[in-house]
Amino acid sequence: MTELRLMWRNTRMIVLCAISAALYAAVLVPFKVVPLIPGVTELRPANAIPIVCSFLFGPAAAWGAAIGNMIGDFFGGVGPGDIFGFLGNLFYGYVPYKVWQVIAAGESPVSRSPLTIAKYVFACLMASMLCADVVGWGDNLLALRPFSMLGNIIVFNNMLAAVVLAPFILLAVYPRVRKGRMTYEDVMPEIRRPARITALCGLAMMVAGIVGAWVIGNLISTGYWMPAFMPAGAIQPPYDRAMALLVSPFIILAAAGLALM
Amino acid sequence: MPLYFYIDRAGVLHRLHPTVKVLALFVMFWSVYWVDHPLALLPLAIVIMLAARSAGAWPNFYRLRWLFVMVIFFTALAWMVFYRRGPALLDLGIIHLSRASLLFGFGRGLKLAELLATSVVFLSTTKIEEFTVGLLSIGVPYRAGFAITLAFRLAPLFMDSAVTVYQAQALRGYDFNRGGPLARVKRYVPVIIPVFMGSLRKANAMAMALEARGFGRLSQPTSFIEYPIAARDVIATIILIMIAAAYFMIYYSGYGAISLK
Repeated sequence: MTELRLMWRNTRMIVLCAISAALYAAVLVPFKVVPLIPGVTELRPANAIPIVCSFLFGPAAAWGAAIGNMIGDFFGGVGPGDIFGFLGNLFYGYVPYKVWQVIAAGESPVSRSPLTIAKYVFACLMASMLCADVVGWGDNLLALRPFSMLGNIIVFNNMLAAVVLAPFILLAVYPRVRKGRMTYEDVMPEIRRPARITALCGLAMMVAGIVGAWVIGNLISTGYWMPAFMPAGAIQPPYDRAMALLVSPFIILAAAGLALM
Repeated sequence: MPLYFYIDRAGVLHRLHPTVKVLALFVMFWSVYWVDHPLALLPLAIVIMLAARSAGAWPNFYRLRWLFVMVIFFTALAWMVFYRRGPALLDLGIIHLSRASLLFGFGRGLKLAELLATSVVFLSTTKIEEFTVGLLSIGVPYRAGFAITLAFRLAPLFMDSAVTVYQAQALRGYDFNRGGPLARVKRYVPVIIPVFMGSLRKANAMAMALEARGFGRLSQPTSFIEYPIAARDVIATIILIMIAAAYFMIYYSGYGAISLK
């Protein structure tokens, strides 16, 4: 994750970060008026932008997604839950290119082979689920909204944009950006990749953390699973303590895995 | 659709130091966090309404009136599904209507509405550059603050470009309203691509212009705009600390909780 820090030393990366954020916000805001669950979330075709930018600008897109989401939140009201929205979107912009580096290093994300498409969907699914985990966990931790309400709608919303919209945009802009030497590999050639075995271990940890947090978060917040080893006071609605004790370790595991990649 | 809530006035709240405004935002989040009972949230709602009146922020509240209604209604409804505590007044299977779930759900809805209202007052009285100064004062690095400001500035420009491209495509006979919801969303891809590429063309020139002006040479650059601390800032800080302490005392004494009996 060092590149998330190092990119702030590079002026071009800072500009790309601002552009990613502004593009995300510019598409996000007009769709604020099309709610999926009123008062909770809206239709977000803008969620295609962080995916596209992630493959192009890497760490700049991660910060861009976080800042763009913050600008969008400013239009619909900010709250303490938006801190988790910031973090969730940071991961949403960060995971696709990191996963791609591990499972498809050197391959173009716009290739139409079935294996490339499967890898692309996997990268987007991991990003969407981690974003959903962090936002759902955070809002439930503050007892503002249940995990299963946000955790599932965010995965749906993000995947819809990632699968339906992002490939078309990527198909059009990726070759041009690559030719113009504007990708993160061109702008920040100093980014170092970890050893293959370390990156694979990180990927395994991240997948376990993401899936674990999502499954347990859903089971707890819907009341389907009441672990016997937990004190009775901790497994009562709104399940904020259960979230803190049971889901947090998986979120930490996912973040640690990501750091190894 | 206007992107910002800022209302240009010379009211007391408008003239507060940006750091005090960011502190006010934090104090409201803090105060709301500690209490669950709707009655305990009521004094804070009155404070926010008085602040909104003083700031002349009613037009923004009117703009978001349906969002406020939806936030309260749908949050209350969601917690009636997930907060299954207390003797049921009405059990409709998925919805568990009890005194506790009603109070908890309504309390959560009110909490979110108060957070939304706080952010509307904040945004009605704070310019983007003031927000950046506020962020820098709480320790956000200068370069990140710059990226946030730049993104805020670029977002409306990109929205304008998107509208221009949309109108140009429509003039050429491109029908954006053909097909189902997914097909319609996909039809916006030809709008996003020119905006995307146009923004990237600016990125290189922008980075060079920034570096030519010495961007990043100093970690604490000087600024044209200065915000001196006035007596009103000290008074506002004292009032905010009193509100924060009062709400913690309400929590500590148990008055802000919901009884299950």
